[in-house]
Amino acid sequence: MKAAFVMVLIVLFGAPLAGCIEQTDSTEECVVLPAGHADDGVLRILTYDITALSDALTDEFTNNTGIEVEMIKVDDAGGILDQMMLTKEAQQADLMIGLDNTYLPTAIANCLLQAYDASAENISSSASSFYDGPLALPFDQGDVCLNYDEDALSEANMSVPTSLEQLTGEEWKGKVAFPSPVTSSPGRAFLVASVEYFDQQGNADAMAWWTDMVDNDAIITTGWTEAYETHYTGGYGEYTEGYIGDAWMTVSYCHSPGVEAYYAENYTHSTSLVLDHASFHQIEYAGIINGAAQIDGANQFMEFLLSNEVNVNMPENNLMYSVLEGTDLPETNGYRYHADVPSAVTTMTYEEIEENMDNWLDAWKTATEQA
Amino acid sequence: MLRSSVWLLRASVVSAYLFLASLPFIYALRRLAFVTGHTPFEALMRFDEVYGGAEALTYTLLEASVSAMLTVLLGLPIAWCLGRYEWKNARGLRALFSVPFVMPAIVAAMGFLLLTNSESALFQIGIDLRTETGVIGELARLTGWDHPGHFIALVFAHAWFNLSLMIRFVEPTLARLNPAWEEQLTLLGQGKTRFGRLRHLWWPVLGPAVLCAASLSFLFSFTSFALVKWLSPFNNTLESLMATYGGSAGIEGYRVDTSEIVMSASMIQFLILLFALYMTSSMQQRHSTRFSLVSEGNARSLRGRPPPGAKIIVYAGVVFAMAPLLTALIASFKVRKGNFGSGFSYDWSLEGWSAAWSGDLATMGIGDALANSLLYALCTLCVALPTGWFLASTIHALEKEKRFKTAKALDVLTLLPLAVSAVMVGLGVLLGVLRLMPELFQWGYLPVVPHVILTTPFVVRVMLPAIRSVETKWIEQAQVLNLNRYQTWYHGHFSFVRGPAVVASSLTLAFSLGEFGASWLLVRAGSWDTLSVVVDQLMSRPKFDPLVQPAAMAAATVLMAITFLLFLVAERFRHEGEGGGF
Repeated sequence: MKAAFVMVLIVLFGAPLAGCIEQTDSTEECVVLPAGHADDGVLRILTYDITALSDALTDEFTNNTGIEVEMIKVDDAGGILDQMMLTKEAQQADLMIGLDNTYLPTAIANCLLQAYDASAENISSSASSFYDGPLALPFDQGDVCLNYDEDALSEANMSVPTSLEQLTGEEWKGKVAFPSPVTSSPGRAFLVASVEYFDQQGNADAMAWWTDMVDNDAIITTGWTEAYETHYTGGYGEYTEGYIGDAWMTVSYCHSPGVEAYYAENYTHSTSLVLDHASFHQIEYAGIINGAAQIDGANQFMEFLLSNEVNVNMPENNLMYSVLEGTDLPETNGYRYHADVPSAVTTMTYEEIEENMDNWLDAWKTATEQA
Repeated sequence: MLRSSVWLLRASVVSAYLFLASLPFIYALRRLAFVTGHTPFEALMRFDEVYGGAEALTYTLLEASVSAMLTVLLGLPIAWCLGRYEWKNARGLRALFSVPFVMPAIVAAMGFLLLTNSESALFQIGIDLRTETGVIGELARLTGWDHPGHFIALVFAHAWFNLSLMIRFVEPTLARLNPAWEEQLTLLGQGKTRFGRLRHLWWPVLGPAVLCAASLSFLFSFTSFALVKWLSPFNNTLESLMATYGGSAGIEGYRVDTSEIVMSASMIQFLILLFALYMTSSMQQRHSTRFSLVSEGNARSLRGRPPPGAKIIVYAGVVFAMAPLLTALIASFKVRKGNFGSGFSYDWSLEGWSAAWSGDLATMGIGDALANSLLYALCTLCVALPTGWFLASTIHALEKEKRFKTAKALDVLTLLPLAVSAVMVGLGVLLGVLRLMPELFQWGYLPVVPHVILTTPFVVRVMLPAIRSVETKWIEQAQVLNLNRYQTWYHGHFSFVRGPAVVASSLTLAFSLGEFGASWLLVRAGSWDTLSVVVDQLMSRPKFDPLVQPAAMAAATVLMAITFLLFLVAERFRHEGEGGGF
């Protein structure tokens, strides 16, 4: 037992001494860093499981340019930021694809991106409105909002809610699933939407609503996948092993019902709840990582991603809207018909998100833990 | 001179291993200490303030304790029956019971989800563990217990996973125990009753083995992540809590709360697991104490063929061990047909296998992924086996020198990687590589490093009892035969530990093949994806395409088949009665 005891003492009291020698400078100015890895001619892309970045697409890019592509995949948009933060002193990728507008301000504030030199034309105002600086280019977009199961409401003889407050009522007890904003990108987006929604109501407090929702047995999941596939009754979760189907409403995209219809031969019983200011216009970006080695390749890939041939196919290949002006969802299988467009999305600016996101997350944790 | 060189070599290998094994933990810990501004001790004291920490700890302790008890309840009767009678194909049965232990957790989770879904036999008889209707729903309502169905599914899955521990620890002792002991005790006053025999014979003989297996079951259930994630979605264990928040831990000035969660949770976990490992090590040492043993074959033949009751228990155990895996195999041939919105039927076809082989639904086909997996596994074996063997032999050499405290300390230290969360290992390797040699990230074999760290303790656990059981007189007898040094070592030592070495090799290969966490936590570059990563990719895809699910199950089946083959090979090399812990 003595051996184990000594080991415990070493860990408890010895390890922190080692921590003292760790030094970083948190007040640095943004400068372009030297390459964090050797340039071996391979373009390394840090991304999550974005379906648009298929083997066929990267093969086409390689055939066109002669540049090999290697994907470094993490869980989600948050994972991209985490990975860039952790490997800041020696970045291992050249290009990031997938940070959304709830994460982009943090990435820029932490000097994780460097200016691109890719030319991109015809980007829609909805995609460039949030950020149109030199460090990141939008490549897809969509509105995050609540989705609900029409059949379930109809069977329960319930009316469609006309406000978020109604979801705290008894009939919605245990019937709403939210991906946690702490660990999920759509969860974050909806948190921002909820803050603005209640701001618009005057003195109403979004965090009080979150407390009420948790009191009403709202289901909080780690990620969007668990909320949508495991809990939501309106989506394709019913074809998924492990499906529980205990939530009639969840957070997804306003066009998710269209995606359901597109894949399910124009069949869906899911629709979106388009309340004013309760939707967040999510934009996903590509940007060159500060510390990249293959800067030329990264610029070429950004141009390729923003090219008409590739980007116009975002709805089919990535289940998101294209960022190019004049594009829309395809009509195939009712994709466009079932996709809702909110009339008033959040108007949170880059600065507001940069300044408040950490506070909102802390407040959300307190609100949901108090419940 | 030779003696001091050998000890120098031993010291070098031990230091190198301990350095490699502890460095990631130290790196992770010191970074977390820096980011949070707390010492590990302070982090420990602040655990109750951690978001979700108290609930996770309570749930972890509960599920791990119940899982360990259930493992004993289910495993002991099987081990008893298997060890006491002459079975036609004992090797095959042992291999079957071993397969669950090395199954990738994601495959096990899928198997249990299939066993508890709305088409399962359990559901048909009214036991709905997934959506918790019927009896289970009523249980929840009457007791106020949230999600009892998920908890039951989880602890049974853990017991399934750890079943082989009980069998591997208990069965060999029973199989080799001199039947005369039991007969003699029956004649004595103390052994006339069943309780008397239990108290004076079975508990002293089997107790340490049972406790050793139970404490290891507790440990593996405590650190379970994927099974918790899939089977118990409403609850977190400490490991799943850390995995959930671990991504952003260790970053200065950003999401410091997640660093606090990971640091506090990992410290609590470390202390509890260190205690469990200490218990395991102590019990294993007592378990290794030599009783009056006879040849396994003789003991078994004296007791004869198994009675019907024993057959029922063992074959029921086989069904339990194989059910999740067979369900996955069957699911690989089941393809959904029909129209959305108007119900589905299922066709039997090979389309899922074809899709899995072509790689159309994942980054690569199962052939390429298997090649990657095997390559990693072989590399892991090349490092982990000699390292673990050498560590075990060093521990034994220290014991022979009567330096018991040092031997004990080293024994516990070799188990250390099992006490450290996979999240901490992942973070530590990332930080360590970044600091020491960032170019290693482009080295495709980097995942071998955590594989070696995680598999070496198992090699030590298998080899140590085997090395302890090699008697000095065997080497002395070999020396008498006028053999040279290497022949003496071969005939007097190696030939007695060759079996356990093959078992350790199979175990290492199987663990590396199924290992998901470490390859997943590091860098996930498509061209290096392993079979278990491909299974996860397929399981994570939306299931609109009816081939996704059967393709995932086909990939999982290949993984299962390879694992089973490895254990079958191991069994052929395992000497009769060699338990070796696994």
